[in-house]
Amino acid sequence: MVENNEIELSEAEAEQYDRQIRLWGLESQKRLRASKVLIIGIAGLGAEIAKNVILSGVKSVCLLDNEKLKEIDLYSQFLAPPDKIGENRAEASLTRARALNPMVEITSETKSVDDLPDSYFAEYDIVCATGLKQEQLERINNACRDSNKKFLCGDVWGMYGYMFADLVDHEYSEEIVQHKAVKRNVDETEKNARETVSITVKRRAIYVPLQNALSVDWMKPEYRSRLRRGDPSYFVMKILLRFKDEYNRNPDPAKRKEDTKILLRMRDELVKELSLPANFIVDALLLDVFGTVSGAAAVIGGVIGQEVVKAVSQREPPHNNMFFFNPVKCVGFVELYGQ
Amino acid sequence: MVARVAGVFDEKLTEAIANSKILVVGAGGIGCEILKNLVLTGFPNIEIIDLDTIDVSNLNRQFLFHKEHVGKSKAQVAKDSALSFNPNVNIVAHHDSVISNDYGVSYFKQFQIVMNALDNRVARNHVNRMCLAANVPLIETGTAGYAGQVELIKKGLTQCYECQPKAPQKTFPGCTIRNTPSEPIHCIVWAKHLFNQLFGEEDPDQDVSPDTADPEAAGEAGASALTTEGNTAGNVERKSTRTWAAETNYEPEKLFSKLFGDDIRYLLSMENLWKKRRPPTPLVWDNLPGKDNPPAQHSGLPDQRVWSVHECAQVFAASCDALQKDLKSRPEGDHLVWDKDEKSAMDFVTACANIRAHIFNIPLKSRFEIKSMAGNIIPAIATANAIVAGLAVLRAQAVLRGDIQTCTSVYLRPKVNHRGQLFVPEKTLTPPNPKCYVCAPKPEVGLACNLKQLTLKDLTSAFKEGLNMQAPDATVEGKGLVVLSSEPGETDHNNDKTLEEIGLNDGCALLVDDFLQNYEVRVRLQQEDEEKSWRLVTDTDAPMPAPKEEEKPANGSNGSDPKPGPSTSRTREDSDSDMEIIEEDDDEPTVKPPKRRRTEMSDEIVNLC
Repeated sequence: MVENNEIELSEAEAEQYDRQIRLWGLESQKRLRASKVLIIGIAGLGAEIAKNVILSGVKSVCLLDNEKLKEIDLYSQFLAPPDKIGENRAEASLTRARALNPMVEITSETKSVDDLPDSYFAEYDIVCATGLKQEQLERINNACRDSNKKFLCGDVWGMYGYMFADLVDHEYSEEIVQHKAVKRNVDETEKNARETVSITVKRRAIYVPLQNALSVDWMKPEYRSRLRRGDPSYFVMKILLRFKDEYNRNPDPAKRKEDTKILLRMRDELVKELSLPANFIVDALLLDVFGTVSGAAAVIGGVIGQEVVKAVSQREPPHNNMFFFNPVKCVGFVELYGQ
Repeated sequence: MVARVAGVFDEKLTEAIANSKILVVGAGGIGCEILKNLVLTGFPNIEIIDLDTIDVSNLNRQFLFHKEHVGKSKAQVAKDSALSFNPNVNIVAHHDSVISNDYGVSYFKQFQIVMNALDNRVARNHVNRMCLAANVPLIETGTAGYAGQVELIKKGLTQCYECQPKAPQKTFPGCTIRNTPSEPIHCIVWAKHLFNQLFGEEDPDQDVSPDTADPEAAGEAGASALTTEGNTAGNVERKSTRTWAAETNYEPEKLFSKLFGDDIRYLLSMENLWKKRRPPTPLVWDNLPGKDNPPAQHSGLPDQRVWSVHECAQVFAASCDALQKDLKSRPEGDHLVWDKDEKSAMDFVTACANIRAHIFNIPLKSRFEIKSMAGNIIPAIATANAIVAGLAVLRAQAVLRGDIQTCTSVYLRPKVNHRGQLFVPEKTLTPPNPKCYVCAPKPEVGLACNLKQLTLKDLTSAFKEGLNMQAPDATVEGKGLVVLSSEPGETDHNNDKTLEEIGLNDGCALLVDDFLQNYEVRVRLQQEDEEKSWRLVTDTDAPMPAPKEEEKPANGSNGSDPKPGPSTSRTREDSDSDMEIIEEDDDEPTVKPPKRRRTEMSDEIVNLC
């Protein structure tokens, strides 16, 4: 995917990216520098992803959003200043996004994703979509997939969040640490030093599109057995995506009471539909899904940002294919769905 | 601000946030992220402390800082940037060390929660004690590369930061550094010591000349060479390296010939050392390897190219000149402080370490690699910091909501575990260690030493280094006799007396306290004839911090290891490493012995050091 950029890093780049080069290596940094990223939805989560991706030193980032900045955005969206309420969210975020790292090219797009052709998304090496409906996500995912481009999506509702990744057919290298004894001294009886040697192995991961992951059949034994693990986060995501589809909005803090009722009703319906154990999806998980809580946006945005870095640098195993953050238990885990 | 929008949180949390006051200690990678989250969430009162200034290598993650802020106070710039997100928040910034009389127990008591975003153990220990004394919940955070952790510390409820002994910092025997290096790190430590001998603060423990007291060399010890200048203390008695260098006007060629020629020949004369080792090869200034070969084609960063010995010698000469000029330009008695980010200082150490490595047939390293080792850089990245800070603020919210019992430690793993978990919470809070010498109701610890040899001065450093005290006072239990006083001058006249001389014997107990930390511990003295210095004895099996009797390895951003100085001294806060946890790969062998924290499964071991 990302062409291997052979141009050496400038002194300024080497200085600014010093610490991360020590972690992921120069080759990864060069790949990062060659990649173009599209971030869709510049609310709290989008801003967190943008920050992490821009700091990492990619070639360019486009912020896409057709919505206006609202007061409630400011509680998690730090790229848009408070005096720009009413302006387009992507445009309002440009100045601060650029200040994060002047070496990255930052642009904005104010059209709705529905008004953009499939070919638009294929111009980027990787697309991160937030705040969209399931149908929109699936369409963009397929557009990326058709051009062999990587796709990530995710959302944060209150303190809860998820991420999905479709890196299509992804090749990457993984560093594996091995230990070997080395002899340094002439005397063989002297204790041999142990040296850690890291070797790099090439690996490949095959991904499935979002529609597969969201339409798994919970009656099948391989999924049924997952219920024993006891984490209902997948279903929380399903409920919240359904809510968005049905009401064309997210649960609203101003309607906390009514919306909680709706969420609990939708929960009960889903439990019945999939014959899930009673009390499997605890109420507590549906009580903290209002607005975007900054801490949760930072957590999910951190995970997605790291997956962008892994995907474009083709280094270290990326998550395949869903990540969930369950704020009640404070657990974050990866599960494969739809393969 | 979220807290002001009804409905995002339940009423209880909304109210608790509105009435809260939070202290953030550290405005580095994690501190910036925590501050952002707190401000956006609407925490109305925040104080932030950091003594550091902004460096260009911070900019890839400390996102509240931009290029134009380099050199400015982290706390102040972090405050200004965060206020632009939400001008309605009250933030107080302190460009200061948290280890100061200005931040006593009553200062800490005004906060509902203290959040640590530090990068060094000395400050962490100190804040731990302040929070215990003030009985304020502390949320302790750290990251190292892709890994990280968040831990709640609450007096009486959880273990404290010092409940489990930490792995002592790796040290190398002095004779390995001075006589028989076998790894690159030995040469790097030697080079940093040399820097201090020539340009920095002279420290007798950092001698770089051949060590004739090396037990291995004993017996014959190159007799002919030694008779003239050897003495019983083991150090070849001659002018200090500094005096000698100054007299030769720091002429690089002369320095080179002494350090890499004469001294090496001297080592060769200690024949016992080389019976089972490959002997070193002395170098001659005008005939160095690589002289006639141009550097090979190199791809990668310029700093990643390994220099030839000839190039090292040239860099040695140039950096000596530059450092010497710098030293000369300073007032009499002033000295340089080694800093990995200072070009000449880093060049000097790279060159000297590699020249010495060549002499001892040790692989040479690039400037890039040596910087990591000499500067003890633990790479930090934006994403791990963001995740850990996000989790920390969510934990702070749970504490405020009254759910403190649910706030178990959470580990961010570099890779998912076999259950697919990336963030792994512990199932239960870890209760306090009843024998902890810090947070137990009646803290107690043993001090093994030779009372006939240990002086009061040594005792002070045992309390400072071993017990992490800033300004210890000690009295004899039952007698009230003042042994050590933190008042300057009060007990100084006894500094050189041994414990025996002032009437302390085996089994005696001292009550030692640090006023600032509001911390008192009973110290039992144990006579051990064999003990060369001192050693703390607790009831746990794990090793305890030992004194600095051996050479310290590369550590910290300055040449000497950070010593907990008097309460007014600066504590090292190296922004490069935001924590001190080390998470081992599953296949990694056990390197360090201390407390292993088990998460859910036996193969998920996080080493908290």
